[in-house]
Amino acid sequence: MTPTAVLGTGALVAVGVDAGSTTCKLVGVDASGAVAMWTLEPMTPRIEEQTDRMLTEVLAAAGGASGLPVVATGYGRKLVRAADRAVTEITCHARGVFADTGTGGTLVDIGGQDSKVIRIGPQGAPVDFAMNDKCAAGTGRFLERAAASLGVPLDDLGPTALGAGREEPISSTCTVFAESEIISLIAHGAELDAILLGLHRALVSRVLAMVRTVGLVPPLLLSGGVARNVAMVELLGRDAGTPVRLPSWPQLMGAYGAALVAARGFAAGCDREPGRVL
Amino acid sequence: MSPGAAPTPLAQARYHLGYQVAGRATLRVQRLRDERRLAARRPRPGDALLPTLASMARMKELMTGHYLRGRYVPGVRPVAWVTSGAPVEVLTALGFFLVYPENHAALCGARKQGAAYCVQAEDRGYSRDLCSYARTDIGAVLSGRTPVGSLPPPDLLVCCTNICQTVKWWYEVLADHFGCPLVTVDTPFLYGQAQPHQVDYVRRQIEEDLTPTAERASGRHLHPRRLREVVVQAHEASQLWLDILDRSQHRPAPMTAFDGFLLIGPIVNLRGHPETTRFYRHLLAELDARIAAGTGAVADERYRVLWDNLPVWYRLSGLSRQLAGLGVNVVASTYTYAWGELASMIDPDDPWGSVARTYLHPILNRSTGHKLDAMRGMVERFGLDGAILHSDRSCKPYSLGQIDQRDRLVGDLGVPTLLLEADHNDQRVWAEAQNTGRIEAFVEMMAAGR
Amino acid sequence: MAATLAVPSRSGAIERARERGLAVVAALPYHYPRALLRAHRCHTVEVWAPAVAVDSGARHFQAYTCGLITRGTAFLLDGGLDSVDAVLVPHGCDALQGMGSVLTDFVADRPPVLTFYPPRGRRDVDRAYLVAELRALADRLADVTGHRPDADDWQEALALEEAADAALADLYAHRTELALTDREFYTLVRAREYLLAEDMVEATTVVPRGPARQRGVGLVLSGILAEPLELFDRIDEAGAHVAADDLSTGTRRLLPPAATAAPADPYERLADRLMSGPPDPTRTDPVTARAAHLIGLLQRSGAAGVLAYDPTFCEPELFYLPLLREHLAAAGYPLLHVEVEPGTPLPTQTVTRIEAFVETLS
Repeated sequence: MTPTAVLGTGALVAVGVDAGSTTCKLVGVDASGAVAMWTLEPMTPRIEEQTDRMLTEVLAAAGGASGLPVVATGYGRKLVRAADRAVTEITCHARGVFADTGTGGTLVDIGGQDSKVIRIGPQGAPVDFAMNDKCAAGTGRFLERAAASLGVPLDDLGPTALGAGREEPISSTCTVFAESEIISLIAHGAELDAILLGLHRALVSRVLAMVRTVGLVPPLLLSGGVARNVAMVELLGRDAGTPVRLPSWPQLMGAYGAALVAARGFAAGCDREPGRVL
Repeated sequence: MSPGAAPTPLAQARYHLGYQVAGRATLRVQRLRDERRLAARRPRPGDALLPTLASMARMKELMTGHYLRGRYVPGVRPVAWVTSGAPVEVLTALGFFLVYPENHAALCGARKQGAAYCVQAEDRGYSRDLCSYARTDIGAVLSGRTPVGSLPPPDLLVCCTNICQTVKWWYEVLADHFGCPLVTVDTPFLYGQAQPHQVDYVRRQIEEDLTPTAERASGRHLHPRRLREVVVQAHEASQLWLDILDRSQHRPAPMTAFDGFLLIGPIVNLRGHPETTRFYRHLLAELDARIAAGTGAVADERYRVLWDNLPVWYRLSGLSRQLAGLGVNVVASTYTYAWGELASMIDPDDPWGSVARTYLHPILNRSTGHKLDAMRGMVERFGLDGAILHSDRSCKPYSLGQIDQRDRLVGDLGVPTLLLEADHNDQRVWAEAQNTGRIEAFVEMMAAGR
Repeated sequence: MAATLAVPSRSGAIERARERGLAVVAALPYHYPRALLRAHRCHTVEVWAPAVAVDSGARHFQAYTCGLITRGTAFLLDGGLDSVDAVLVPHGCDALQGMGSVLTDFVADRPPVLTFYPPRGRRDVDRAYLVAELRALADRLADVTGHRPDADDWQEALALEEAADAALADLYAHRTELALTDREFYTLVRAREYLLAEDMVEATTVVPRGPARQRGVGLVLSGILAEPLELFDRIDEAGAHVAADDLSTGTRRLLPPAATAAPADPYERLADRLMSGPPDPTRTDPVTARAAHLIGLLQRSGAAGVLAYDPTFCEPELFYLPLLREHLAAAGYPLLHVEVEPGTPLPTQTVTRIEAFVETLS
């Protein structure tokens, strides 16, 4: 398959691979650190073979380049044979978002299966982080299950919620219990959009609890799949009291950051910030 | 307040006028009004619960008065923050104003503000797995907010481990925050009977650490006669409280455990004060009047049930109404009983020794086997049809052992027993649909057993 | 990474103890007087969340109970009780309290369950109580074993245990000169939990000397239980090593040697040593003492940060963390806190967190 996009004319100097749990993304950067090409596929269980193939294709499309540094990140990063190094999503997302937006700040990344908050320092290094990877109620999965049980298409979730005239508070802290709470609310005549708004609010409040433990340093940045949900963007900004900035390609930030790490040799001894708090 | 420093004239004047004169007068007027209103209430057909006891008005006066006094007390009286099981007689005899962070937390919980205060603590890194009283308190302290206006900061912290070990870590956090002395009275857990070296240890800690430290912090000297007076009051009030609770052995019971969770306030927070003793005498008389009239707290008392563990503070009236509506009167609880059952151990003629022994023996400092025996005894004495064991997510000392206790209540005594999963102060843990369902199933089991 | 160091096995140690005519006592974590048990001809083998099926233990304790208790109980109920002569459950927290009480009251017809309540404080009154509590434990042990130690028994027991403690202290003092990986080092350190004291001394003498097989950034590892052992492999792969520890399975029980003017009475001598351990969350030492201790470890070892590695639901650890984090930050040191379920494999998410932490330190 051909890469999904080739941008610019600068020659590739490095490649980043984000082997996530649902999608696999590759980003190639040029010498100026700009995205030169990217590609995205659904993740298959055979990570080694898939990433080998995707890299080969990308390098071929870049004019047969070889010997480029490759850094892998994401859930399956250690299975990417062709990578020189594996670096965590924390570092890669921080680097990617910093380079894309030009600013540090507090990055919220809400994926389908986990969510994280990363405080990005003024030079783009991750300074502190918090992860929720144990409980679905703080991830995109929370909204997905609710959407499924309400029969609402995923892409309609955000607009429907924002259009609600009132809000039904959802008190359950658990995704599974929330489903029975939704059923009970509907049985008592609550409206769909009000319930959806309440669900979004519940996710936002859990995410903000993580933000507070790390410390909110504006700007508030949002990446990950859930960044496409307009209600999440709106509510997060409103409840945090500061507008939310989205990077150019929210889903590619991990791979982009990994490419930058590969190009510039980060996370290998040079970037420690004095006096930071973790 | 620095030890021995006399209160400033301004602080003293504010205390006298604001609290002793105006404050108490206002509260007295409010109480009289409430009492009249409550006494005039008649039961309405269809009400599952009878109108509230008139004594609630008096309890409210005492407790509101206590927190009101707290707003005027800085600089006027020495202040100690203490755990609910602490041997406070020494402190009361030295004139300390006592703050019970657990009671303050419960108050926040009862107003459904527990979670909000917990979040304040969680934002600063305190885990959600920690005791919700501790999180509520730490959240209030760190945010500087409280529903009672203000809490006087401590000159002394006193922590007694007879209710749990958690208080030790909680109070280290408070000590670090307030920078005042912390005294621990470590009461070894009684896996069996109390042994002489354990009693001796508690006594020595009270005599050699608590008393001199409290004297230094207050700038006062402990007078044995004053201590004796306080112990006499504590003894009398405890005995009265025990009598009050035992009145619920009558059928129908004149009050519910939910009433008890509120009426317990004075014996916990104001133990050793004469007005506490007077209050419980008054309450006992009101209960006796109900008994004479054959009036029960629940209109249709079909099932009599025991409650084990801490209350669910944010669901008190909801649970009370739901259970009463199903014909259930919670006539006994191990929690309220704790402040009465040791009354006979308190001996004003041996204040040091008896205080040391008494504070070793609260039910939370006793083995899981003893606790089962206590519940078995309650089944007998109160004629119980079932038991609700609140499996409190953030209170391990009270909750661990409940699974085995439940198995034996069901298996050995044939008593339907519900393990109700919740939390004492954090309403986020409450699963409404699941718990309602469980309670209804439990009542059905009691019905089937008839 | 396979251990190149051969450390005697747990079952081998139990056999040797029985050959010596010693009774075997299963001991739960973690402050208790080894020498006292040895003097009563008992050998203690510690139970730290064995990776066994947890169901029989979980039946007695709610889901919000620490895995050390549920797995320890499961191990005992699924045959552990049949292989020992007694169980010792020291008191250290509310969960251990519940375990000791439930085992005593509800798990009937088993070997005796002995409990032990060490004082939290370090006052004179605490020491006096500890002496009495040690005597009370001795009385119960005498009932179990039928043996009352004489002066020779005491002298031997104290000498053996103090020698083993000294050998362990020596290992720590020379860590950077032992050609061991962190995994091998901690495997050896943990042998103290089940080897006879004399065999522990022996084991420490066959350690290869040379530069420590460690690399990268130094961490101070703080917490209760550093398991599973693959944790050390992952730390190494992340480009870090353990420069010092504040672990209950490590230096928290590294008691200083007895003073030259130590009391002759064995109970007094034991009490003095037990009271002199480093700051410890189960001793409820003040926050400032614990923070100063951690900062000292960081400075002396040249480590860059603290990895606080805890079982879930651990109050002693969780209460201190926010303030420790603040104190450490003021001194310029970061802290990462992770929680794991004892007795289970290391989750990849936990490894990711540790790797990310090391990346920020590199």
